[in-house]
Amino acid sequence: MVIFIIAHHTFREAIRKKILYVLMGLGILIIIAAPFFPTIDEPDARVKMMLVVFFQVVMLLCVVGVILLSATSLPYEIEDRTIYGVLSKPVSRLKIVIGKIIGFALLSALIIVILSLLNVAYIKQIASGLPESCRGVLKARDEFKALRFYIQGKSHHTSEGIVWIKGGRDGVAFWSFSDLCKTPNNKTSFEVEFDLKVESGRGFVGSIPVVVGIEDAFQGLGKTEVLSLMVDEPLTLKIDPEVVQKSGSVNITVFPIHEADYIGVTQKDVRLFSVQKGFIYNYAKAIVITFLKFLLIVIIAVMGSTYLSAPVSIAAAFVVFLCGHILDFIKDFSLLIHRYDVPGHALPTVLRKPSILLIYVDYIIKKPLEWFSVIMPDFKRFDTLKFLLKGINIPLETIGAVFAYTTIYAGICIFISSIIFKKREFL
Amino acid sequence: MDKYAVKIEGLTKVYKDFWRRKKIPALTNLSLNIERGEIFGLLGPNGSGKTTTIKLLLGLLFPTSGKSWLLGCPSSDLKIKSKIGFLPEETYLYKFLNAEEILDFYGKLFDIQRKERKSRIDRLIRDVGLEPYRKRPLSQYSKGMLRRIGLAQAIINDPDLVILDEPTSGLDPIGSREIKDLILEFKRQGKTVLLCTHLLADVQNVCDRIAILDKGVLQVIGSVKELLSQKDVIEFLVRNLSEDDVQAVESFIKNRDGDVLSIGHPSSTLEDIFINIIRKN
Ligand SMILES: Nc1ncnc2c1ncn2[C@@H]1O[C@H](COP(=O)(O)OP(=O)(O)OP(=O)(O)O)[C@@H](O)[C@H]1O
Ligand SMILES: [Mg+2]
Repeated sequence: MVIFIIAHHTFREAIRKKILYVLMGLGILIIIAAPFFPTIDEPDARVKMMLVVFFQVVMLLCVVGVILLSATSLPYEIEDRTIYGVLSKPVSRLKIVIGKIIGFALLSALIIVILSLLNVAYIKQIASGLPESCRGVLKARDEFKALRFYIQGKSHHTSEGIVWIKGGRDGVAFWSFSDLCKTPNNKTSFEVEFDLKVESGRGFVGSIPVVVGIEDAFQGLGKTEVLSLMVDEPLTLKIDPEVVQKSGSVNITVFPIHEADYIGVTQKDVRLFSVQKGFIYNYAKAIVITFLKFLLIVIIAVMGSTYLSAPVSIAAAFVVFLCGHILDFIKDFSLLIHRYDVPGHALPTVLRKPSILLIYVDYIIKKPLEWFSVIMPDFKRFDTLKFLLKGINIPLETIGAVFAYTTIYAGICIFISSIIFKKREFL
Repeated sequence: MDKYAVKIEGLTKVYKDFWRRKKIPALTNLSLNIERGEIFGLLGPNGSGKTTTIKLLLGLLFPTSGKSWLLGCPSSDLKIKSKIGFLPEETYLYKFLNAEEILDFYGKLFDIQRKERKSRIDRLIRDVGLEPYRKRPLSQYSKGMLRRIGLAQAIINDPDLVILDEPTSGLDPIGSREIKDLILEFKRQGKTVLLCTHLLADVQNVCDRIAILDKGVLQVIGSVKELLSQKDVIEFLVRNLSEDDVQAVESFIKNRDGDVLSIGHPSSTLEDIFINIIRKN
């Protein structure tokens, strides 16, 4: 009960601050301007741009606002000594911390809901004015991975895990998928996406012709067609529903026509999708994950603010937020030094003897960096844009995993905050 | 039920500096008891440790050593705070709220039911004379008005023990007078009051007992009457005595082995005590 009184109080304080309205206003302006940003010449680029702008720019703006508010709330109360008023009442310090967190979580939820409703309504509105081909991203697909993958005939060579096939029926790449129709549903359609590597001995070409076969695994029902495969661009094909619905299993074969052409393939280069129309549902799931991210940021900011003064607390929250996004970089930082020092395939002129100092530095910072990257929150887990941009249905397991991660991380943070805050004296 | 409203045993506080080295001894080995229903004045010059004592009692600071009890419970006990009212030495209130909202917030923290809360808020706002300003944000309040609302929040829970740190600071003479009356009203209701101040006028006609602190050390404690009457000292109050007669009386006393402590014009006596004690150090 007391927690919610504090939460309500915190929320009320935050919404009476101007900074929130400034940032929200800016966010709304950006959302509205998003469809007019210049984009590359791709059919669904406009819608994609609106998604990217919302999740990258507008949400970043909101994170900034939420950090500014939540990292300074407790320090300002301690500085102004308004905290005396609360501490002299029968309120435990842990409840103050949790109340603050809940207050800012509510605030985040409110901001996210308002802005995302605006964003999604606007996307729908803009998209309805665009031709069908420009709305490709507004779908939610479930991904299926190939169950089996092999080369019929012989491959040319294998390097770095990629199998290369020479054209002219020398070898045929073969993927098989099954269990596609767990829940038979007429609304579901299927499509297959090829992301193969292409090389040609005929000099520089933009695309090569390949033969693609898609057929039912048991009855051989299906069709074979010649398609042109572009370099560095995935190819998406619709699958005849008949083919899938009989047995729920599909075999896909690919080989280049020209003897001088090569394709490089791996098991995960061909992916099959069942397509639903649930963009809104998918978007809602992305918003839930985004909210969890905000919650974690709030908890981290409040944790820092139980000990630090306002400016330091803001800085700390931003550093953690930044580090949480570049964990891979941090982990590899010592590796970078290494690489720089002993280039594996650099030209001999650049080859230098490893400096003893660098090796020493590397040795010293390696462990701390590893630990650092373990301690920092991993915000990569909260990346939902990668699903939305490819129109992939966010798996419920992903949400579950993110939820579990947030819960555990938050639990530890709240535990630490409560210990710090209990020991704190208010001068 | 414990007969003491406040019990302090050997309370010591040494403030630490940034490097956590012990630096400023703000309070040294303070022991005192305040009985229930008493109005107790904690006096001392600036920086003598009055506010420090209160913060230790309320758990805002942790003692370097020593213990304290409020209304029979260790002062670290959360529950006991529902029976305590506290007015800090300056008014630290949320400036973005108005009088009604802030009292409502504190009332909720005490878990006072809605109806009761509302009637108490109305009564308190009237009692402290802020009726016309109840919807104004506190950021627009004057210092004295803030003091008044601070006092209102200190007693919103109908406390058994009221701790007031310099309650009259910033108040006009009428306000100070009203505070005195309020304190006497508390006494009539059987509440205990701990009053910290360096304004002797606040204390003189109000307190039952006082303690005087200086540099964190307890100098005197006792009832006001007791302190004011020193049994072995006799004071003559005389009018219209010539200078020669004064000398004659003085020499007469000396002949009879009496010590003449002072000859002069009498002044407000509590002030004498206070100043003598502080000067001696
Ligand atoms: N936060 C602090 N850090 C270090 N020393 C402090 C701190 N607060 C108070 N002190 C010191 O503790 C001593 C007692 O201070 P305290 O505030 O208790 O005095 P006070 O009796 O309330 O004075 P006043 O009448 O001015 O309010 C002073 O010497 C002061 O310098
Ligand atoms: Mg003081």
